[in-house]
Amino acid sequence: MTKFLQLAVVGISTGSAFALVGIGMVLIFRTTNIVNFAQGAFAVIGGLVMVGLVDDMHGIVAGTLAVLLVALIGALIGVIAVGFRTRTTPLASLIITLGLALLASSLNLLAFGDRPHTYPTIFERAWNIGGVLVQPQFVIVVGVTVLAALLLTLGLQRTIAGQALVACADSRRAAELVGINVRAVAAIAFAVSAALSALGWVLLTPIDPVNYDSDVRIAINGFAAAAFGGLVSIRLALVGGLALGLAEQLIVGYAPGQARQYELAAALVILLVLIGWRSRHEAVE
Amino acid sequence: MTTRLLPLGRLGATLAAGAFAIWLAYQLEPGSRALFTLMGLYAIVAIGLSLLMGFAGQISLGQGAFYGLGAYTAGILVVGLDPDERLVNPEAGISPLLALAVAPVLTAAVAAVVGVALLRLRGHYLAFATLALHLILLAVLFAQARFTGGQDPGLAVIKGLDIFGWEVTGILGATPRLTALVWGVVLVTLLLALNLVRSRAGRALQAIATSERTAAAAGINVSAYKLRLFVLSAGLAGLAGGLYVFLLQFLSPDAFPIFLSIQFVVMVAVGGLGSVYGAVFGAVAITWLEDELRELGTRPELLGFELPDQAPQVFSVGVFALILIVVILFFPRGLLPALVAGARRLQRRATAAR
Repeated sequence: MTKFLQLAVVGISTGSAFALVGIGMVLIFRTTNIVNFAQGAFAVIGGLVMVGLVDDMHGIVAGTLAVLLVALIGALIGVIAVGFRTRTTPLASLIITLGLALLASSLNLLAFGDRPHTYPTIFERAWNIGGVLVQPQFVIVVGVTVLAALLLTLGLQRTIAGQALVACADSRRAAELVGINVRAVAAIAFAVSAALSALGWVLLTPIDPVNYDSDVRIAINGFAAAAFGGLVSIRLALVGGLALGLAEQLIVGYAPGQARQYELAAALVILLVLIGWRSRHEAVE
Repeated sequence: MTTRLLPLGRLGATLAAGAFAIWLAYQLEPGSRALFTLMGLYAIVAIGLSLLMGFAGQISLGQGAFYGLGAYTAGILVVGLDPDERLVNPEAGISPLLALAVAPVLTAAVAAVVGVALLRLRGHYLAFATLALHLILLAVLFAQARFTGGQDPGLAVIKGLDIFGWEVTGILGATPRLTALVWGVVLVTLLLALNLVRSRAGRALQAIATSERTAAAAGINVSAYKLRLFVLSAGLAGLAGGLYVFLLQFLSPDAFPIFLSIQFVVMVAVGGLGSVYGAVFGAVAITWLEDELRELGTRPELLGFELPDQAPQVFSVGVFALILIVVILFFPRGLLPALVAGARRLQRRATAAR
């Protein structure tokens, strides 16, 4: 039972980080119609910059700087990915974000080298609840994720600015006609979702080291979480991310011997099944 | 309808270019011949992907997985399914020619299973699912090391290809026969793809590429056509992978990184989405460029800067990323078509000025 609870705690924390990535993808998709492949790169840059800074300053300052830096990079990527009105289709935007993610990973390789990076957790103590070890950052990442999901859901539905953001995805032309600057909207949406992904891995790097090429794995897991809600539901993206994180940890913990090597493969099979299941719900374009 | 066949002039030019490629296979040095063979293999993959991206409006980030799956299918069938018997009995497997035939069939079948649900959805689902497929393949290759050879020792395929007495051996372009065979396959693929584009199915595909809604309204089964294209592109990748076995006669997961799948997308972006000739051009250009970049990256220093160990990888990944971004941003139909159109415009302006 203790083993199960311990796995569940770790699974829910990593699942929250996947959910943060997924929620970011939903935010971008709902406001710009772009599926952002570079979402994994945001997480990786956040984690790597944190590792680089944390030795020289207080952990909270380092984390804030890392998240702000990634938000800036996110805004820049958003402006590029949205492209031009007449010739950049959503699929073209996806390929552009794929290119940007590649570019980021090659720069990360140059700057940080080819090895997994991590840092010792900045919190001095962890709670021991009946034999289950709970690290403070587990709680923080779950809290941040739930809060972000709540605020974004309310923000998009209940505020004028949120409605303006969503309007852009419905019709770019119409949104521009009423004076909404689509490029600025993309920059904001990308910056916010970049900050969320970065925050997830700033917190998670001590238990899940990042390498320059971790972005593919993170992007796929985040996409799976987002796809659970058809790329439009923030709430379902949260559920999807948590379920995915839990499933992965339980497979690692309980699968016999060799099957453990299939952690990633199993998660991806779950993803394929999820997407297949979604396909019966989503209308054909 | 006579539109099914290529115009005679274009058919002649294509055949002549194919004959030239095969002639070239016999003229090159072994080193460049190996590179030339690889260009041909990638061209086969790129033709399939170009049709998929150009006509179905779908993008597959898993063509490298289908290529790898084809290679491992052929390789394992040649050395034998039983890992223990492989070691003692060189005749444990089936005939290389038969194994080569199975490779595209199996990859196409996998694509059909995966594609049937995904191709009813919008493009991004297939993109991520095929990428997941690539990661699954790599995980299985490593996890089932006893069966696949894994990273170490890898899978050595000693037996060469024997096509009814015509022996195709020669590792890394040592002899020209494999190169000639590969470019022969490129030529056949090219002609088939060109005729496909001009057939009844091709007209349906062109309608789909213009507007899926209109095509569906005209009674075209859009998702069935997309599925067929996806299966075809996977089968072509599997065939190329099967042929690749006989180039190196050695397989390891290293040869099929995620980046390979993305490289195929870059080839199509450069050659033009849906352009069959362009795919061959893109494959040749990108493979050549990658070779040059690797050579540049392995130098100890460049322009006075000392190069780190990862330089070859940083160079090729970074440069291809930039190519992909710039081409799709400014010439979303592809670089080559844009260049051709630009040249025509200049020519027209020159004629008008005269």
